[in-house]
Amino acid sequence: MLKYSLKRIVLALITAFIILTLTFFLVKSLPPRGVFSPDENVRYAFYVDQVKLGYCLDMPVETPSLGKYLESFTIGSTTHYFYTKPIIDQYFSWIGNIVTKWDWGRSTVIEPNSSAMVIIATRLPASISINIVSVVISVPLGIALGILAGLKKNTWIDHTISTLVMVFISIPSFVVITFMIYIFAYKSGLLPTMWPTPDQSNTVKALAFIIPVASLSFGSVCGYTRFVRAELCEVMSSEYLLLARTKGLTKNQAIVRHALRNAFVPILPSILAEFIGIFGGSMILENLYGIPGIGDLYIQALNQNNPDYNVLMVDMAVFTTVGLLAGIILDLSYGFIDPRIRMGEKK
Amino acid sequence: MDSLIQESEWGKRNSMLEDKDFEFVTNEDTNSQEPEISEKDFELVQVDATVHEQKFQTRPTTFFKDSIKRFSKNKSSVVAGFILGGLLLLSFIVPLADRSDTKHPHPNETYLAPKLFNAGTGWWDGTVKYKNIAVDISSMPDAKTDAEKQEYWWPSATKFPQHSAISKKKFTDETYTNDATNFGGESYGKEGYIQFGYTQVVQKDTLVDFSSMRLNSLDLTDDLTLSVFDVYDMDKVHIQEGKNDLEKPENYVLGDCALYFNYVEANTLTGELEHKEVQLLDYKATHNIGSAIESLREDPIVVSNIIKTETGKTSFDNAYFSVRMNAVGEQNVCTLIRSIKFETASSDEAIKTYVDDISFIDATKCVIKKAEDKGYWSSTGVKRIFLSKAYFCSFVYDTYEAAFGERVDNGFSIITLLEYKKNGWISLEGLSIGGGTTFVFKPHQFKCEILDSKKCPLSRAVTLDDFSGYDPNIETQIIDSSKLKVAAHIYKYKELGYSSMPRYLFGTDKSGKDMFKYVFEGLRTSLLLGVLTFVVCFLFGLVWGAICGYFGGTVDLIMERFTDILAGVPWIVVMTLIIIHLGSNFWTFALALCMTGWIGTAARTRTQFYRFRGREYVLASRTLGASDARLIAKHILPNALGTIITGSVLMIPSVIFSEATISYLGLGLKNVSSLGVILSDNQSELLTSSYLLIFPAVVIALVMISFNLFGNGLRDAINPSLKGEE
Repeated sequence: MLKYSLKRIVLALITAFIILTLTFFLVKSLPPRGVFSPDENVRYAFYVDQVKLGYCLDMPVETPSLGKYLESFTIGSTTHYFYTKPIIDQYFSWIGNIVTKWDWGRSTVIEPNSSAMVIIATRLPASISINIVSVVISVPLGIALGILAGLKKNTWIDHTISTLVMVFISIPSFVVITFMIYIFAYKSGLLPTMWPTPDQSNTVKALAFIIPVASLSFGSVCGYTRFVRAELCEVMSSEYLLLARTKGLTKNQAIVRHALRNAFVPILPSILAEFIGIFGGSMILENLYGIPGIGDLYIQALNQNNPDYNVLMVDMAVFTTVGLLAGIILDLSYGFIDPRIRMGEKK
Repeated sequence: MDSLIQESEWGKRNSMLEDKDFEFVTNEDTNSQEPEISEKDFELVQVDATVHEQKFQTRPTTFFKDSIKRFSKNKSSVVAGFILGGLLLLSFIVPLADRSDTKHPHPNETYLAPKLFNAGTGWWDGTVKYKNIAVDISSMPDAKTDAEKQEYWWPSATKFPQHSAISKKKFTDETYTNDATNFGGESYGKEGYIQFGYTQVVQKDTLVDFSSMRLNSLDLTDDLTLSVFDVYDMDKVHIQEGKNDLEKPENYVLGDCALYFNYVEANTLTGELEHKEVQLLDYKATHNIGSAIESLREDPIVVSNIIKTETGKTSFDNAYFSVRMNAVGEQNVCTLIRSIKFETASSDEAIKTYVDDISFIDATKCVIKKAEDKGYWSSTGVKRIFLSKAYFCSFVYDTYEAAFGERVDNGFSIITLLEYKKNGWISLEGLSIGGGTTFVFKPHQFKCEILDSKKCPLSRAVTLDDFSGYDPNIETQIIDSSKLKVAAHIYKYKELGYSSMPRYLFGTDKSGKDMFKYVFEGLRTSLLLGVLTFVVCFLFGLVWGAICGYFGGTVDLIMERFTDILAGVPWIVVMTLIIIHLGSNFWTFALALCMTGWIGTAARTRTQFYRFRGREYVLASRTLGASDARLIAKHILPNALGTIITGSVLMIPSVIFSEATISYLGLGLKNVSSLGVILSDNQSELLTSSYLLIFPAVVIALVMISFNLFGNGLRDAINPSLKGEE
């Protein structure tokens, strides 16, 4: 088990490394954009830091062989021309900065010259808080509905639940969010129309959770309901459950002791993976409801007129890492729960 | 059932055989008893019938037919299939059959509500319900009783140019509103308060100086000769505050009120004018609004002495005075003034007029005055109406009648009228084109009749009364085209070239696009994108998965790692990178979707190939010398294809989903009508014209639901072992 786990983790690390490297090269190969700030001092400080961090070159004269300079400053009698270094040099500087200083790059637009990692860190709490509430609500609800549908298979209860699940899983989330905001916030005025600012009252803050949590929960409740129902249906028709009944267990005993336990073998890992997923942010929801999370940050950094590539790259890294981590947890926990299963191993 | 009968017949025969008595002899080789059978032991079963090879009584069925049978039992999938088919058909027929133009803007046809039924049906009838719209007071002159008010009222003429309400229901009497901008035209309110010197933010730790926020009466621009005594005589200032029973901001004070006396003195040296300012009267009153309703300055302060000492003059040329009100107090304190009235005892008419001008009794009217109007009060800070009184109404407005209905067009072009005559739609006598830009008009001979009432936009013939700008007494006159005017009664839809009143099922948007056509054009784009991506991804995934699964080993290992890495990157990241590198159009978008889309198909194909490549028939074919390509194409693929296709077909809705999502965020397609783009473009109209979002949203939801239901049904039918899995 240890060897297997280690192997999986190392493989994931390698995958993450390759993805981040590819992302770095792809993003850096775009036409370079300088820092965006009206204050010249801020811009100058940014370039000086970039030189220190090893992404830029500071030349006293214009050097056409290095391409077009990003920006030039005349301070006193000397003029500084700032050029970008070759991508491969930048790449090693980047790796070096991450390893030594945990500096993943500097923001150019959103908060000029502050560390992208710090920006991400300030945006994370909003995303995480919504995700936690949503997971806490949606997982039990989804499982309960799934069990209900699975046990009452082919009755009107099952049909109703399955149809609703189908409908909700099919409607795009932005449609659901938009209309929820329209109906509950604008039309009836029950809920805030936007994510509140820090100085608003606690009641408003609490009410502001309802729309994001509900819209995030729809998808995952539907997912769990479907998953649990499918697993339970399979287990319910198995022979060992028949044996359990024939040896004298009541229906409830058989369900609780045998059916549910076995059905939960694949369900539990996905719940664990769901908890890793709280570190990701939903772009659509955060964008539509004005939540200052990392999903909204992604959209902001991707602004077509004024993109902030460094923040974008770190944000991509976060999303990728969260995804990979959730995958590992999912696979490994299978092994812990049922030692016979080794996900991803050779058959 | 047939086979059962056959079986029982066989049973009968066997038992007949057993009834026979056989003689047993011992076989010497095997040392066992064997029955001795002679020829007569045999008995013909059917002596009288010819025995042929018999066909199975059951009907033979193919795998495909069997699947169809299973599929048709799944009723929801069948219904979904029909809905999907209908939508597919519509998405191709509607853009071709619907003639309305979605490429160019139609300024006359913007924001028409969806219409399926006739107006007045109450639902989907092209009407819009308006609630609490301010009534234009000028639209109901002298209306006293409620009945009169009900008859004459009408809201803003700019927003509702045509009186085409199909029901005028609710008319609310004077209601207070503290958000004057809320009812479109502030001009429809009355009374209320001027609120000024109030701001909400402290900007970057700098407190905005509230004492500098002033309300100034406009300086009198006319030359005015003032004597000190005129100023002195302006002896009463009424400043009225509000009642205490109304909603108010928490803090408020009445500001300082000061009269400023200014004069301009000719400078003999330079010839330039020099402004001097002398403060004459300083009047300060700070009240709690609850305590005082009207404060009246009864005792005028004698100011003539001050002026005399300050200036050494008793009379001034080119002088003027103004009134300034200062807001006093701290942050979030506002000043509310209900009315200000100045009185003067001067007999000078000019001064009297001026004093009347700077007075006001209706704060709302005072606030909406423009800088060039008399009696305008300017403000150095915020100036707005607070608690203005207005009439409100609720009504049902027929947008089609407003856009296309019958109306009087006051600026109707006479050239057009002459064109109608040329077309033979009307007969026209006494009016013809003169030289240049003139018309020859003969009022006494004028005659007009409608000949073709179907084509002619005029709803009634033009009469002499409709003309203006001519002399009725002159027999024949030549009039310039800018002078002669006609007011024509027309049907707007006929003028716009429609033979009957248009009917837009999904309404029109801000540029007058027919949403019905536009939505289905969008659906077609989305579907094309989905199908294109599906085909590319499916073919690529099939080849990739086939190589992985068929060859296995090292090839599989390397290719699988590649897929792992690609699958590890969130699709939005891949999409973003491609879009920022290659720009955003239909093809890059398809490419971006294809980049990760094939992984699922590849995995599915790989599994199927692993499953079938070791089968006996494959081995048999291989021993007969079949090549790898033949084995893949002829033996393994046909067996695996059903499962792979049904598993992959759900890619189409997921592509539509992804496209809509990313376009909705504003990152996706540009200048192409896809469902996501339509939804994204109309996102801001949610509160005002929600139908612009509802219809595309319903269509996309319907497509997704029916695609998923249909796809799942198909998969269950073709591969029953997967039933229930998602």
